Formats: sequence, structure tokens, C-alpha cells
Amino acid sequence: MNLGTRGALTFRLGDYCFAVRVEEAGGVLDADRLAQLPGVSNPVAGVAAFRGEMVPVVDLAEYLGIERPVSQGRGYALVLSRGPDRFGLLIPEIPRLIPGRDLREAPPANTDSELGDLFESVLENDHDQFHCLNYWRIFETIIPPVASPAGKSGSTERGN
Amino acid sequence: MPAGRDFREDDARPGQSTPPPAVLITFLAAICAGIAGSLASGLMAWIAIGAVAMGGAYFASRTASPRKVSSDLGRARRLLLLVDRGGAAETKVPPEFAEDWAQVYERVNKLAFDARTSPPPGNQLEQFRKQVALAASLLSDGKDPLVEAPELRAGPLLPLLEGVKGSSSLPVVSHLSLGEEEELIGAGGDALPPDWPKPSGEESGRVHDAAFESGLRELVQEIESLRTTLAGGPNGEGNPASDDAAPRTPAQLVDAVVLTAADGIEDLAAGLMRANELASVAERVTNRATLLALNAALEATRSGSEAFAAIAEETRRLAEFAREATDTISRLSSEIEYKVGETITAIHATSEDAKTSLAEMSGSAAPVSSSARSARVQVVRLLDRSRELLQSFGSSDAPDQGRDSRARQAVTIRRPGSESRNSAQDNVENDPAPADKSPVEGILLIEGLKPGAHLDS
Repeated sequence: MNLGTRGALTFRLGDYCFAVRVEEAGGVLDADRLAQLPGVSNPVAGVAAFRGEMVPVVDLAEYLGIERPVSQGRGYALVLSRGPDRFGLLIPEIPRLIPGRDLREAPPANTDSELGDLFESVLENDHDQFHCLNYWRIFETIIPPVASPAGKSGSTERGN
Repeated sequence: MPAGRDFREDDARPGQSTPPPAVLITFLAAICAGIAGSLASGLMAWIAIGAVAMGGAYFASRTASPRKVSSDLGRARRLLLLVDRGGAAETKVPPEFAEDWAQVYERVNKLAFDARTSPPPGNQLEQFRKQVALAASLLSDGKDPLVEAPELRAGPLLPLLEGVKGSSSLPVVSHLSLGEEEELIGAGGDALPPDWPKPSGEESGRVHDAAFESGLRELVQEIESLRTTLAGGPNGEGNPASDDAAPRTPAQLVDAVVLTAADGIEDLAAGLMRANELASVAERVTNRATLLALNAALEATRSGSEAFAAIAEETRRLAEFAREATDTISRLSSEIEYKVGETITAIHATSEDAKTSLAEMSGSAAPVSSSARSARVQVVRLLDRSRELLQSFGSSDAPDQGRDSRARQAVTIRRPGSESRNSAQDNVENDPAPADKSPVEGILLIEGLKPGAHLDS
């Protein structure tokens, strides 16, 4: 079955397992180097330096209302990339890379209705099921895109 | 007597007195007459008169009677010489000490003799101990202490030694087993027949001789123990040589041991904390390696490059190996740290328990030192023992009747626990057993009782 992906980065958050397709992932970095920003809403954990750029980091557990497990450090930031735009998801553990050959699409009946319109698809392997969310919609909910004065459709400017 | 002053006998010799005044007057008169004659009759007459005068002076000095030593200074010198020599046993008053001075000379001579022959007051205990030891030694040799050692006749042991004088016989019994009833036993341990003759007074005296010797030996041991205690004891209390060493109390020793152990373990804990810090650094490096491996795998997956995937896989394996090692180090470090903490806690708890036990053993902090308490107890026991011996041998009852009574006591035993035992017997039975048995053959050996104890008839 062709999933249209070479693999997925999976991580656990509360009682849920989530997955990010490798085509969307830009990389993983340590959240200890996260810099908090004053005057921002709670889901925004701060900004981090990733390959020479400042990327905002969103606390996914805070946004979804999931209790975050207690850990020594702040966790890790999974950076998503879409063209020149990047943002990070604050997750409590190092994600696990599962090759695409080990994944398959789960039937729609197994999807979690609480995720609402954020839900995109469900992947599964022999052990777990992984929810693939529309993470960019989460980001745009928090930081709405600002239309470019030049009217370019390929890029957007974002503000608070 | 003043120290550093030594008087010679020549100082008080009568011939050393001043010349008589008559000789001087005669000598001066002869010289005056010679001068007058030389002026009046010439040289020959002066020589003749001078020769006559000198002869007269010489004759006068020879015929004048020497004066006796009569001055107070001379007698004082003689007395000081007497004190310096320590006096003499027999007083021989010199002729120049007449009437009152003779009495003074006799008293000084007696005081000087007593001071030379009497021991210092501090050695009275040692002298008493020596007398007791001498008496015990002579008794063990079968000799009469009052005959062999005349000094014992004037000592405090005289009543005791007179009580045992004249005792000599063969042993009567050698062993007695304690049964339910009173019984008589013979030398072989068998019960004596009912018509067995009662032992004589001499035989009982032998038994009491051995008992007295045993008592004396105990007395010697008690006195030696008392002397050791008063001298400061074997631990050196009051011993000047051990004052510099400043011996520590058991509680201080426990503290020192605990502090030494705790210091070593705390040093170990400090090293362990340093190891934990290094393990934390290694863990951060491992996390970086893991992230590097993950990012490499992510890029390899995105690019689809086999070579990149191989490098990413090796990086991942290396990161996993580093993580396993770091986890192992962290786990071992945590276990050791936990055990070290437990050990330190246990050491401190044991130290407190030991100090509490020592405090309970030593009792409350009484102002009286332990040596003083021990000395007091020993003195009381010594007095009880001496009183008991005096009661045994110093009574003024008829000797034969007393000996017969003691003879029956020697072979008739009442069981321990009998109601009519007196306090002296209780004291004897409560005393520790003597270190050595009596050397006299065939003396009373009773299980549960000691030689010298009062045995009810």
C-alpha cells in the first residue's frame, strides 16, 4: 500500500501516539536551547535556532490539552518545514523514525473524533496506531498568516 | 637538724677550750719583770730574769687544770651530732650532760633512734602487707611465725597468730560432696561410719591452720589490690607517666572510629558525586549523538540515498551504544550513592547506640571516681574479712572446747541454703574463689564452699 511517504517520525503524548511524515519534518533539536518570549500566548513555548534560523516552537500538549509527563528537561523540538516556513512542535521525547515500509493506513473507524478537523490520517504498524494531524493548521491558529503586500501566494508573513 | 651542717666530734672535745687566764697573767708579769731587769741590771740580768719568767709561765700552763665542757654551745653541738648520727639503741649519757641535760640527751637520743628505725607513715600499708605475706609464707612452711619472725610479735597480726599457734596434725577429710542431709565423709570420699571417732583438737587446728593461711592469702591479695587501686590502678589513673598520653574514654574512641569511617565514606560520596556529574555530561553527549543519528536518518529517508542511510545507521548504532553505557553508569552510580547514604546513616546510628550503651554501663555522672568507689568496696571487704578471721581465731573461749567445736565443724556440713547460716558465712560464700589452693595436704575442699568458712555444727 503506497502511503505517499518514505517514513514517519512518531512520538507519544499522553495516551496518544502521533506521527509526522518525514517529508514534513525538517529535523529534531534539543529544547534546552529554547528561548522563551515575553508576552506570547501559552501554546507558544519560545523560539529556537535551527540551522541558522529562528523558528517558533508550539507546545503541542498545551494546545491539545493533554497532560504532559514530568521529565528532567524541557523535551525536544520537532521542526516542521513547508517551503521556507518552519516551526517546531515541543514534544517530551525523542521521536522514533519508522520507515514507510513498516507503516500502513489505518481504517477510518479507528480515528479519534476528539481531534476534530485537525485530524488528517491514521498510520499503524504491528504495535501501535499513529495520528497524523494537520500541524500547519495548528500553527496558523496560533500565529495567523499575514497576507503579503506583493500578493505572492507562495509565501506568507506572520505576526502576533 | 639543719641540713648541710655537719658537726665533727673534735668540735666538742674538751682540749679545744680557751687557755686559762692565770697563764696569761703570769706570762705578762714575767715579760714586765724582764723589761724592768734589763733596764736596771744590764743584759745578763735581763736574760736571767726572762728565762725565769718563761719557765714560770710554762710551769703555770702545765699545772693549770683543764676546764670541762660546760658551755651551752658545746652541749648543743653534741646534741646536733647525736641527731645527725641517728641516735643509739642504748642511751649512754656523756659526763658533761648532768641532771636536766641528761634527760634532754636521753629524749633526743630516743627520738633520733626512732626516726632512723621507724618507716615513714606512707609505708605502713606496705609494711602490713609484708607482715601478712611473711606470716602466710611461714605458715605454709609449717613454721611458727611468732618464733621465726620476731617483728610479727609487735605487729597487728599478733592476735591472729596466737590463735593458730601450736596446731599440727594429719588431715582428717579430703572431700565432701553435698547431699540432701548432713553427712560425714572420709579421706576417700566415702561416708564415715556412725561410730567414727571425732577428730581431735589438733586435727581441727590443722584444718583451721589451712583455713587461716587461705584467709591470709586472700588478705594479701586484697591489700595488693587496694594498693594498686590507690596508686591509680593498672589503667594509669593518677599515674604521672600516663597523664601526658591523655587516655580517651570509650565514648571518645567510638566517636573517633565513627568519624574516621564517616570521613572515608564521605570522601567516597564526594567522588561519587563527581562521577555523577561526569555521567550527566556523558548523557548530554549521548543525547546529542542520538539527535544527530535521528536527523541523519531523517535526511537519508527524505533523500533516499543508500550511502547516507548507511552512515545514518552507523551513527544511530553508535548513539545507542553510548546511551546504553551512560544508562549503566547512571544506574550504578545511583545504587552506590544510595548504599553510601545508608552506610553513613547506619554508622551514625551505631555510634549513638554505642554511646548510649556506654553511658548506661557507666551509670550516672557521679562525682566519685571509679577508682575511689572500687577502693571503698575493697576496703569494706578487707575489713569484713579481717573481722571474720579475728572472730575465728581471736576468741577467748577455752582452747580445747573451741578446737573440738571447730573439729566438728570441719567434718559436718550444712547444705548451702540452710536457714541458720550467719552473715559471715554469707560473706564468705559470696566472695570470689581464691586464686590458688592451699598447699597443705588434705585440707577441706568442699564444693560450693570455701576453706575458712564458718561451718555450722
